[in-house]
Amino acid sequence: MFRFLIRRVIGALVILLVISAVTFFLFYAIPRDPARMACGKVCDAELLEQVRVNLGIADPMPVQYWHWLQGIFVGRDYTGIGHCNAPCLGYSFTNSEPVFETIKTDLPTTISLALGAAFFFLIIGVGAGMIAAVKQGTWMDKTASSLSLLGSSLQIYFVGYIAMFFLVQQLGVLDPPSYTPFTENPGAWVSGLLLPWLVLSIIFTANYTRMTRSQLVEQLSEDYVRTARAKGLSGRNVFFRFAWRGAMGPIVTIFGIDMGTLIGGAIITESTFSLQGLGTRAVRAVTDSDLPMLLGVTVVAATAIVFANILVDLVYALIDPRIRLA
Amino acid sequence: MTSTDQQPFLSVRDLKVHFSTEDGIVKAVDGLSFDLAKGQTLGIVGESGSGKSVTNLAILGLHDRKRTSLDGEILLDGKELLTATERELEKLRGNKMAMIFQDALASLSPYHTVGRQIAETYRKHTGASKQEARARAVEMLRRVGIPQPDIRVDDYPHQFSGGMRQRAMIAMALVCDPELLIADEPTTALDVTVQAQIMDLLKDLQQEFGTSIIFITHDLGVIADIADDVLVMYGGRCVERGTKKEVLRTPRHPYTWGLLGSMPSLDHPVDVPLNPIPGSPPSLLNPPSGCRFHPRCAFTEKVAGGLCATERPVLDVVDGRGSACHLTAEQRADFLADLAGSRQN
Amino acid sequence: MSFSRRNFLIATGVAAGSTMALSACSSGNAGGNSASKAPSMDKAEAATITVGTKADSQGPAPEMPGAKKGGTLYTLDQIDFDHLDPAQIYSSYTGAGAVLFLRGLTGYRVDSKGNTTLVGDLATDAGTMKDGGKTWSFTLKDGIKWEDGAVVTIEDVRHTFERLFADFVTEGPRYPQNWLEGGDKYKGPYEGKHLKSIEVSGNTITFRLKEGHADFNYMLAMRGFAIVPKKHDTQKKYDKRPYSCGPYKIESRSIDKSLTLVRNEHWEAGKDPVRNGYPDKIVMQFGYQSLASTDRYIADRGNDQFALSLLNEVASERVQKVMGDAKLKQRVMTQVDTTCFYFPINMTRIKDQKVRQAINWAWPAQQLKQQRGGSQVTETATTIISPLTPGHTDFDLYGKKTKPMGDPEKAKALLKEAGKEGQKLVIAFQQSDKAVKEAVTIKNALEKAGFKVVTKQVDKTTFYSEIGQLDNEFDLFAAGWGPDWPAGYAVIFPCWDGSQISEGGVNWAQLNDTGVNKAIAAASVETDPEKANKAWGEIDRQIMELAACVPDYHPIRNYFYGSKVGGVVWNAGDTAIALGKVFVKA
Repeated sequence: MFRFLIRRVIGALVILLVISAVTFFLFYAIPRDPARMACGKVCDAELLEQVRVNLGIADPMPVQYWHWLQGIFVGRDYTGIGHCNAPCLGYSFTNSEPVFETIKTDLPTTISLALGAAFFFLIIGVGAGMIAAVKQGTWMDKTASSLSLLGSSLQIYFVGYIAMFFLVQQLGVLDPPSYTPFTENPGAWVSGLLLPWLVLSIIFTANYTRMTRSQLVEQLSEDYVRTARAKGLSGRNVFFRFAWRGAMGPIVTIFGIDMGTLIGGAIITESTFSLQGLGTRAVRAVTDSDLPMLLGVTVVAATAIVFANILVDLVYALIDPRIRLA
Repeated sequence: MTSTDQQPFLSVRDLKVHFSTEDGIVKAVDGLSFDLAKGQTLGIVGESGSGKSVTNLAILGLHDRKRTSLDGEILLDGKELLTATERELEKLRGNKMAMIFQDALASLSPYHTVGRQIAETYRKHTGASKQEARARAVEMLRRVGIPQPDIRVDDYPHQFSGGMRQRAMIAMALVCDPELLIADEPTTALDVTVQAQIMDLLKDLQQEFGTSIIFITHDLGVIADIADDVLVMYGGRCVERGTKKEVLRTPRHPYTWGLLGSMPSLDHPVDVPLNPIPGSPPSLLNPPSGCRFHPRCAFTEKVAGGLCATERPVLDVVDGRGSACHLTAEQRADFLADLAGSRQN
Repeated sequence: MSFSRRNFLIATGVAAGSTMALSACSSGNAGGNSASKAPSMDKAEAATITVGTKADSQGPAPEMPGAKKGGTLYTLDQIDFDHLDPAQIYSSYTGAGAVLFLRGLTGYRVDSKGNTTLVGDLATDAGTMKDGGKTWSFTLKDGIKWEDGAVVTIEDVRHTFERLFADFVTEGPRYPQNWLEGGDKYKGPYEGKHLKSIEVSGNTITFRLKEGHADFNYMLAMRGFAIVPKKHDTQKKYDKRPYSCGPYKIESRSIDKSLTLVRNEHWEAGKDPVRNGYPDKIVMQFGYQSLASTDRYIADRGNDQFALSLLNEVASERVQKVMGDAKLKQRVMTQVDTTCFYFPINMTRIKDQKVRQAINWAWPAQQLKQQRGGSQVTETATTIISPLTPGHTDFDLYGKKTKPMGDPEKAKALLKEAGKEGQKLVIAFQQSDKAVKEAVTIKNALEKAGFKVVTKQVDKTTFYSEIGQLDNEFDLFAAGWGPDWPAGYAVIFPCWDGSQISEGGVNWAQLNDTGVNKAIAAASVETDPEKANKAWGEIDRQIMELAACVPDYHPIRNYFYGSKVGGVVWNAGDTAIALGKVFVKA
């Protein structure tokens, strides 16, 4: 188990290294000039060169990448700005701030968005899936199945704009989306994020309803579930401790992938609701040609996805001793 | 059935188990009756799909209630099971009646330790504490012959060998000293040596606890080893019953003949091929008319008027011995003599 | 359209001119109920922004009718400010927000009717000029304090201008660096050397310029020349946390999310002619697409009632709805921009004047206007200097207004005359869906007149680098320029003077006409505003006669705000909403 974990972590680090290198070198393949953008309205050649030096992009590419890598482990010094402590993901000259500092301000929004949405879509999705599985073939099952089919065919921006139009603009029952830190005002945190949470759960719930239902139906017909009943255990006990335990694995897996997507790829969600998180940061880094920021966001997002996957494997192992003890 | 003058421990009367499917009604068990006395073993033999497993799931009430309709009566120690509530059945299952399933790997939960699976049955029915239940689990594992039971009690099923898993299943079934044990092909998946060990174990335990056993198998060799009485099922009906000796020595039904013919035995010459019964088991959705075995039976032309295809043969039971076939006693005797002759050659 | 801060600089900074200035607002009335009529430039008069008196410079700023102190004002905009270090601020949007905590020697005083005058902000007046504009002196007001209570000193002022020469300053305006004597050799104050052409004496600072610049004091009103405290100058890092001597100081900032301003207790209203400082707190919020902010203003709920936008305009998807609804329209400030978008014609490639004139005649002004959303959002341009900028003279040499669909016959005739029928034209556009459509329209119109047209899409971020190359292979390209302060010089000199032809420069047409150059030199040193304005108007006409470009359009801006926001007036000098005058209604 421990060796498995070590192996996975090393694998993850290699993946991150590759992702950062590819991002770095691809960035320079795009024909645009970050220096020109950090140069004033009238930009002559001399000034442009000065900007290149200031931005740290006068060095050859591999040297720049090496400095960047070094910074993560030992920190980095920037002339006139000071030391950027390890793990230093670079310094954004666009924002005049170390990249990691900026990202730290984005993460709470993105994580709040993901966790809140997960709370809703897990409860609704898994709940509906359980009811559908228990009441197989009844109208409840059919309703849940067709609603989930509908939900999975919808898109965030579509549902998002419709929901904003009706719930915020026309009826005024929900607040316009905004982010307030939980620590500052929990009420505002909820009311500002409620709409995105609900919209996200409409999209994501479907998958969980379907998955939960099919997994449970399959598990309920497993021999060991029958054995549990043959032992005289109550229906509820058999359902949760045996069937649900077995159904959890695949659900945890897609949940892990979804959380990775929600945290690492929140671009559409965040821009639909005008929320400032990791996703909008990534878009801005691209349009700003802010390489340090782009690298930082990419690495953080990739880390979230990669480690969500490791976490999934861990949870899977906890659920299933056959994996843990293999 | 050695005696009928007193109430048998388990009595099944005219049991019908019908499933409704999208294609129609499947008559999995269609009018089955038998008795089982205390401390006795009943062997139920038949091909897969003959209704033997369904019968036993119905006794435990483990059938799918939404899709199944049951008819007849099942009396366990005088208690009617078919009309019992789920809660009443829960109290009986694992306690008064227990079941050992065929595939121990699939039938044990992969998510819980063996010890816990044994202990939870005990706790459920006795209200014992965790420690007591665990001690009981260790004891049961020891009794079924698991080495180092105090350590293996914390293992998961996948860490056990096939034979050990089956022993653990038995330990789990017997943890509450059930009076009725249903063993559904408990040895099929095991190799011969282990099979023999398990059979011995069951016999020992039966002697120790005085348990009544229903032993389901398609293997007449196993029946010969363990059963007191035998019931042969075909197409959801009983085609022959009697004591082990009666059924194996003087089988009356062509289907039983076929089963005996397809049974490999040590004294059977290697160069003479076995005679498996030709054809396949009947569809229970749309069963054959008359005798359900007649499409596969080699003796139909011996019965006058094509009765086999039109008339359902009655199971005539005298003193617990009976069969359902249109052949006359003489016709059967002729065949058995032929068979004995051919074996001697 | 997605707008990043950098793009913003490119699109409205380099292209459209940041810290744009114009002379008069076409429709801003006091009290926040402005813009009740559709903007039209035909009747707009190019009123000059006059220099205010010493008394005007004294403060306090003129009161706004109905104004109340207190409350929290919010802003809803798409992008955060690109810089907070004044030396790096060029965009008029950043300048409009930073007015609350950055103060320069001069600034614009706006009264309740929207009349704008140039006054001394930290200086006691708008400056004293000598030697035909070669020497300028300003005297610092007494007792102005920084947010820590320290007094603003004349050394701070000198330091502010000297640090413009440091090598980390690359994005702000560079006029002082180019104009001050000895500026080409000076490397900034951090090695302990002063620039000799900046002299201080008592509370007075004197600048000595290489040439006369009669509008030096207007130029100084750009936010890029706000004063920085020497003691707290953290150089590169100053961008992160500038010091305030205005009514508000920075309480907290989260880049691209929010900037929260609270009162600076050391600020005295009596010494500030520019800012009223009504709200107690200002929360600037970023990251809202114009569609999102527009929908919020329509809904007008919660804090959005107390919000306005400095950059976000009414989204094009909602223009019809908002401008067609009398109640909503009351909350919109409509303003014609002083920027002129035009197509410079590459003089090194299209050498025949008749050919250039033919392009002008053939131009499909009306079709382009429709494509861009009609008269609610654009105004056809016929001159280079906007009608709202001092120096504008009204003329229409190529019948843009009389024949708005273009005159292909006339163009054809000119081409024939020149013997250039079938002349090939390579036109460059910034890559975008809109540009593709416009390119088709332009191509069709020019081909009707007998040109052969090739259109080229260039990436937005490199577009201005490419057209700034002297040996570029384009004949015509979409560009634009907004003046950095309200004067003809700021429109004409950088883009049309022969001396400005350089690699990466903005004399995109590469016009180097002796007549024009001479006229520019003369107009630059003209100290009489009226004569100067007349001269710039003549130069505009001269350039248009040479047909060095095709004037295209002036954008019209529609700024939406919440129902509980008052005192929304236009600062014609900053070409932005005068944020320092806005108040919130209880």
